[in-house]
Amino acid sequence: MSVAFLALIILWWALIAYAVLGGADFGAGIWDLFAVGRLAQRQRQLINHALGPVWEANHTWLIFLIVGLFTIFPVAFAALSIALFIPFTIALIGIVLRGAAFIFRYYATDEHGPFARWWSRVFSATSLLTPFFLGASAAAVASGHLLDDSGSPHADMIASWTSPFALTIGAMAAALCASLAAVYLTVEAQAAKDEELTESYRMKALIAGAITSGLGALGLLLSISEAPLLWAGMLQRAIPIVVITMAIGLATAAALFFRRYSIARPLIVAEAAFLLGSWGLSQYPFIIPPQLTIANAANEPGVIVTVLIAIGCGLVILVPSLYYLFSVFKLPSSPAPGLRKEGKEQRKAEAQAQKQ
Amino acid sequence: MMTNLLAARAQMGTSLAFHIIFSALGVGLPLLLCIAEGLALKTRNPTWMMLTRRWARASAILFAIGAVSGTILSFELGLLWPTYTKYAGAVVGLPFLLEGFAFFTEAIFLGLYLYGWDRLSQRAHWLCSFPIWISGLASAWFIVSANSWMNTPAGFIFNKQTGQISDINPLQAMFNPSTPYETIHMMLACYVATGFAVAAVYATGLLRGKRDDYHRKGLIVAMAMALIATPLQIVSGDFNARFLAQYQPVKFAAMEGVFQTESGPPLKIGGLADPATGQVYYALEIPHGLSLLLGTDAPIKGLNEVPRDLWPNATIVHSSFDGMVASGFFVLLVALVFWLLYWRKKRVVPENRVVLWGIVVSGPLAFLAIELGWMVTEFGRQPWVIYHVLLTKDAATTAPWLNISFLVFSVIYILLSIALIWLLLRVARAPLPKITAGLQLQESEKVGV
Repeated sequence: MSVAFLALIILWWALIAYAVLGGADFGAGIWDLFAVGRLAQRQRQLINHALGPVWEANHTWLIFLIVGLFTIFPVAFAALSIALFIPFTIALIGIVLRGAAFIFRYYATDEHGPFARWWSRVFSATSLLTPFFLGASAAAVASGHLLDDSGSPHADMIASWTSPFALTIGAMAAALCASLAAVYLTVEAQAAKDEELTESYRMKALIAGAITSGLGALGLLLSISEAPLLWAGMLQRAIPIVVITMAIGLATAAALFFRRYSIARPLIVAEAAFLLGSWGLSQYPFIIPPQLTIANAANEPGVIVTVLIAIGCGLVILVPSLYYLFSVFKLPSSPAPGLRKEGKEQRKAEAQAQKQ
Repeated sequence: MMTNLLAARAQMGTSLAFHIIFSALGVGLPLLLCIAEGLALKTRNPTWMMLTRRWARASAILFAIGAVSGTILSFELGLLWPTYTKYAGAVVGLPFLLEGFAFFTEAIFLGLYLYGWDRLSQRAHWLCSFPIWISGLASAWFIVSANSWMNTPAGFIFNKQTGQISDINPLQAMFNPSTPYETIHMMLACYVATGFAVAAVYATGLLRGKRDDYHRKGLIVAMAMALIATPLQIVSGDFNARFLAQYQPVKFAAMEGVFQTESGPPLKIGGLADPATGQVYYALEIPHGLSLLLGTDAPIKGLNEVPRDLWPNATIVHSSFDGMVASGFFVLLVALVFWLLYWRKKRVVPENRVVLWGIVVSGPLAFLAIELGWMVTEFGRQPWVIYHVLLTKDAATTAPWLNISFLVFSVIYILLSIALIWLLLRVARAPLPKITAGLQLQESEKVGV
């Protein structure tokens, strides 16, 4: 196994992490778009509560992916940046406005004022836009039509990311984000003991999951003609993974149906991981098919070794920190050190002492 | 209409100018938070906790904008300069990646810090501020070391005929000759600018008659940071100038307005450098000043040493440089006067209107100095993007529509600035957080307040 391949596997894991964490944050924004009526206010609060502490860390997986690709496959990074200039620019605008809008509405002094309402809309619209264009870009890469016949990228060759295949995968990416978010939010709503919201998100998770799998099946069919290399690679290497992905999808639906949310959450994460894994396996050994392969796009092996060592050192700090973050905010049952003891009671007692 | 190259440069420049404000605050504010919360826990004085809470709230907003504007830059490296990324990615990707890790750590502990008031114990909460300021400082070091590499490229062999690079040594690239000079200058700049910016807020309050302990404490801790960082920054600046005279003589010549190589040139302060005539008009000239500053009798190289088409824009570089230096000395003077009065009055915060106004002006001036300093670095390196390796014009993307892209991003920056300023003013005018004797927030306000 070459060091470049090893590095690519790490990048692929980062991609999975971004999809299941950052993707879910986009998904929450999508649900914000549909938050209307009686439950809207509680839904927004739940989403704020769920995203607040973690969205910046989740977003950082994207930065890691960009700089990782830039360092390990510089030629591919340059080609992608030119060929996908428009969808990347739109996704970038979406990412920027999404983050800014979330924080603006979260800290707005008047929750119901025009400032908060306006940015709330920006937040949800960009949450839908961004995964769509990132998904379409991924499909454009997989299609094998991103570069011209000589292997050069052209920003005005827009056919690759506007094909029916790319648009289907773009929509599927958004639907996947929405399903991930719906499952997580079901768990969060249950932890907040809000039965009504739990039921509402359970329903949303089932619907979004069904849409995701429908679009996934359509994408698979379209790939026969529109991404033949991907299809051939799938038949050759990835069939078991694809079958497992489908099985996990059904299992997730069953877990949701029987209200076993703590099982549904890891299942939907596995679903996303297997989905991306099957893409990676099918596309092997190409970075940008059919011209750029792992071998001809990689940096010098010596540099990659240094980078791998650096990543190893970085992970030693990163993994425990991330675990701590999630155990404090997302896994209430885990005994994290440094947690406040009987915090709320203490404050209540203080408040009463003040009154007296 | 602009040419594609100009539009790409304009968009990159706007993005950097916007982002640098938030990255400087992102390095400086966490240290202030750490100090203020540490003082609160040590002295049990609720005022320190009030300051901490207030700064944390502003930080949450500022850091989010910093994170997204930094994302713009990481995309723009590829979107605007794909050819640059082929070289830079191959050679100097390592500090970018490490910066990614530092940013990751910062984002994780920021999440814990800003949203963990109710979940973490006081001590654990305070401890979470350490990784934030340490990784903030580290990311400044990593990212500036990548910029240093663009100024003094190292760690590879470049074949001028084929344009190919080989024998890459990423560590040598990261520790290139400029790295110690540039990184320290930027790290200190973050503390100077944050110190004065925060001090300016409380000086404004004091000038408006809010002469209370809260405003005095806010002022004193920010000015302490400024006082320590500013003199060091002036010394660091001197080191940088000497370094540049040796390693980037063309940039140095543009900074000082030296058009012809000469022995014992004067120091030209201010004025307009005109490349057409090779003169610096309206400048205050100190005979032999430049040689005295550099401590050398050797001739100082002028712009005439390189062909005309390889000159940086001397007018911009010289004026930016002088503007930076002038701002630096002004804020140093303000800090010194403030502390002189403080000690003479036996540790009472001076509320002299002139000094307070000086601090109010120093806040924006310190940020202006950062912007101008980066203009010196970036314009002074032109027409190269990687010094003596790659010309900026050869690095730009082939994608059309860069005019539109520049326009769209400019609109986004304007929109974000307006919303941000509006929101920060609202937050600043909101009633102060009420802190109990147990250093807790009294009312059950929104998490993260």
